Amino acid sequence: MRVRTPPGLLVLRTVVIADDESSMRLLVHATIESDDYCVVEAADGAEAWALVQKHKPALVLLDVQMPGRSGLEVLRLIKADPSLAATKVILLTAKAQESDIESGLIAGADFYLTKPFSPLDLLTRVEEALRL
Amino acid sequence: MVVQQRERELRRGPPRRPGWSLRNYMALFMGVLLTVAVVAGFAVRWMAEGDARQSASADAGYAAQRAANQLKAGFDAISALSTPLAADPGVAQLFVDPSKCGIGYAPVAPFGTGHIDIVGLDGTVVCSSRKGVSSGTFPLYQGQSWLQAPQPTVVAPVVDPASGNQVVVISYPISGQGALVWFLDLAPLGPKLAAELGSGVHQLEFLVTSSDGETVILRSIDPARSVGRNINGQISTSSSAGQPDLNGTQRIYGRSTFDPGGWRVYVGADEAAALSAADQLSNRGLGIIAGGVAIMLMVTSVVYRRISEPVRRLSLVIRGATAGDAVKAVGSTGAAEVTNLAWDFDRLMTTVKNELADRLTREQKALISERNYRLLFEGHPQPMWLYDVKTLCFLKVNDAAIQRYGYSREEFLAMKITDIRPPQDVPKFLELMSAPQPHFDRTGPWRLLLKDGSTNQVLMTSHTTTFDDHEARFVLAEDLTESQQLELELHQSQARAEANAELSKAKDEMVSMVSHEMRTPLASIVGFAELLVTRKVTPEQRNDYLGIMLQEGRRLTALINDFLDLRRIEGGHITMRFAPADIKALIKRSVALIADPTGTPIQVRVPEDMPLVRIDGDSIFRVVANLLSNAHKYSPNGGAIVVGAGVVADMVEVYVQDEGLGIPPDALSHVFRRFFRVDNPDRSGIKGTGLGLSICKNIVEAHGGTISVRSDGLGKGSLFAFTIPLARDVSQMGEVLVVEDDSGFAHLLQAELTGLGVSSIWAADAETAERLMIKKKARAVVLDLLLPGLQGEAFLHRLRSKHGAGIPVVVVTLKDLDPAATLLLHKAGVTAILRKGPGMAETAANMIAKSLTAEQVVIG
Repeated sequence: MRVRTPPGLLVLRTVVIADDESSMRLLVHATIESDDYCVVEAADGAEAWALVQKHKPALVLLDVQMPGRSGLEVLRLIKADPSLAATKVILLTAKAQESDIESGLIAGADFYLTKPFSPLDLLTRVEEALRL
Repeated sequence: MVVQQRERELRRGPPRRPGWSLRNYMALFMGVLLTVAVVAGFAVRWMAEGDARQSASADAGYAAQRAANQLKAGFDAISALSTPLAADPGVAQLFVDPSKCGIGYAPVAPFGTGHIDIVGLDGTVVCSSRKGVSSGTFPLYQGQSWLQAPQPTVVAPVVDPASGNQVVVISYPISGQGALVWFLDLAPLGPKLAAELGSGVHQLEFLVTSSDGETVILRSIDPARSVGRNINGQISTSSSAGQPDLNGTQRIYGRSTFDPGGWRVYVGADEAAALSAADQLSNRGLGIIAGGVAIMLMVTSVVYRRISEPVRRLSLVIRGATAGDAVKAVGSTGAAEVTNLAWDFDRLMTTVKNELADRLTREQKALISERNYRLLFEGHPQPMWLYDVKTLCFLKVNDAAIQRYGYSREEFLAMKITDIRPPQDVPKFLELMSAPQPHFDRTGPWRLLLKDGSTNQVLMTSHTTTFDDHEARFVLAEDLTESQQLELELHQSQARAEANAELSKAKDEMVSMVSHEMRTPLASIVGFAELLVTRKVTPEQRNDYLGIMLQEGRRLTALINDFLDLRRIEGGHITMRFAPADIKALIKRSVALIADPTGTPIQVRVPEDMPLVRIDGDSIFRVVANLLSNAHKYSPNGGAIVVGAGVVADMVEVYVQDEGLGIPPDALSHVFRRFFRVDNPDRSGIKGTGLGLSICKNIVEAHGGTISVRSDGLGKGSLFAFTIPLARDVSQMGEVLVVEDDSGFAHLLQAELTGLGVSSIWAADAETAERLMIKKKARAVVLDLLLPGLQGEAFLHRLRSKHGAGIPVVVVTLKDLDPAATLLLHKAGVTAILRKGPGMAETAANMIAKSLTAEQVVIG
């Protein structure tokens, strides 16, 4: 786990990135890097859930397919936890099937992006989610 | 047929068996009986004779005693008379006055006739009982000592001079003046004793002798001639055996003595008479024995007749065997047991007869049905055959089959059922045969091979049967009719459609899986590219991004390559070119490719005498390299990696073992599945397509081998092992050795050589080529210079040093050769150096063929 905090100021909001592919974490991190929030990375579902419980983040970017706990499982845990009611979730999935997307949305994801995605598109979604 | 034969056997009677018949036992019994009877007869006779002798001896002894007693009584009576007389003074007065003489003689028992004289010492008779004799001198008395004897004296036998008779003289002295003398006739005494005592069977002889046994004093038989005879003491009573008397008659003697004079009294029993009595007795005994034996024989004979005879008749009847005859034959005269036996036998016969009749009918029916069946089989217009289920050999074929398939009957019967199936159908057929077969079924369509090599489509109706003790399958193979063919095609197209649907479903899944696997690297590439395009980035960031893009791009390429390879292998689109190969050289090359010069060296454990394997070298190289690469990849913390090979059963097993992350038990069965990757955080940084092992599995299975994995769990390392076949027929390899790592070119070259009638063998590397040369020297070599491992030039040098300059070598290579290298090759005696390119395979093949002929000419 690497935590990159913006220099100086108080951390107000946290964003958790969960993906088992390091290159994807780097891409997402680089894309949404901002002074407005702190970005935390997790390499699998279990780690992601631990970080979510710890930081009570404003937004979680979840890869659906991860070793250990899958993104969807973490999503269900987040939605079931009242203390995380304010946490937004965006799913990143390599699965293109409708059924996957549907099950993601039913589980309560705020948005989803299928890989490969446009980083600008992702940034837009992230900003939207945080503004809401 | 069988039944009649059995009947004949039965009639023939029992085979001769060792052991005695009842008749023999009877004969033996009778023999023993007779022997016992004869022995008993002799014994009786012998005992009777003994008894007779003993009885005769006893009788004689007793009679002798009685005779002695009588004689003694006589003497006593005489003594009683004489003693007072001799003492009488009146008697003494007679010597003075003989005129007073007046004595008379009265017989004293047992004595008879005789007389009494009173004699003076001078021998003058003074008085006599005899008439007319009063006095005078007797010559008898002259000089006789007993006249002077002072005591009574008995003398015998003495001849009385007056009568001339043998007499006994008894004298009593009379007061010193003379003696009273008794003259008693001896001759009548014997017969008299005999008359009194000698009655009975033994016809006793009474004989009295003097005390020395020498002189006969009296005898009951023939006394006139016997008395006074000297018999020299020849009579003995010591044995009961007979001895001759004076007349020569055999007698058995008993004896007694008495005083005075110690006379011996003998009584002899007539032995012949005694024995004749014994004879009578023993004859009676023998008669009884003979009677007993006769009765026994009679009884035995009756028993024999009652048992043996009926049994014999029963036995004869059994051989003739008709129910009801037995009781008739045995009749009612036999023993109850025999009659019962006959009854039982008749009952048995009735049962057997019924059974036999039943069986005859059944066999007849079977015969008829067999005849019908044969007619049906032989004459049926459709091909039919029978084959042995175990050996699969044809047992019988009909004419239609011979006509339709073109094989002769002999050819058919020499073939197996699999020989008329196209080779590619045989495995499926054998698989079907290995499963339990339904008793009856109809399957098809099958393809069958005709003798002319064409095939036809048939429907097969078959059922299990027994033929000549073989477990057989009866087959009717009917050619498909046009309508059946159409129906079949329809059916097949339906099946194909279904298969296609299934295939397309699988394909869909595949596509979704692949697209998923490809999206992740694509996402990185596209994402970073967009960032680079849209943002201002620092040079470091730019390098980072480009690095990731390159890495992910390569990953994508590997994924696509692996995937396509897998598809090709699975679909059978890759042609495996199997050739003998040295697995050790191959493993070493793989190790050289994978080994990390900074990490722990990979250990190679292959025995020196490892046999050659028969593989597609490129494919197996890929498998070994893949396994080694995995071992390396999944050992992030180092640890030993071992690759080895060994012969296991009739295969060669190659294994790769590491001490890395290992595989959890629940994942072991999935590791060879496409896109499967162990889902564990410990390996989250390790990249892979999830296709490598799947490709390995396909390659190994295309070699007829198996691949397996073992791991004791996470962190315990893992072991992958696979098997490949041994190269068996290396010794039958071709004349020309093709050393070429490019399988395509090698194949082309081999095809050209075959076209020229030259056989060849291919080695994909120089190490294998060397091993092959050791097994069998090739007549020529086509050599590539650029080879994996040992290079062509080095191989050439070793070839020359080991096998001499005689083998023509044609070099075909892509290698750019400078003049020096070319010169070196020519020095090594290569026939030609050709540059690989279109048409060059043909040129090389022609050169090789020519060099072979030239060699032959030289040899010729």
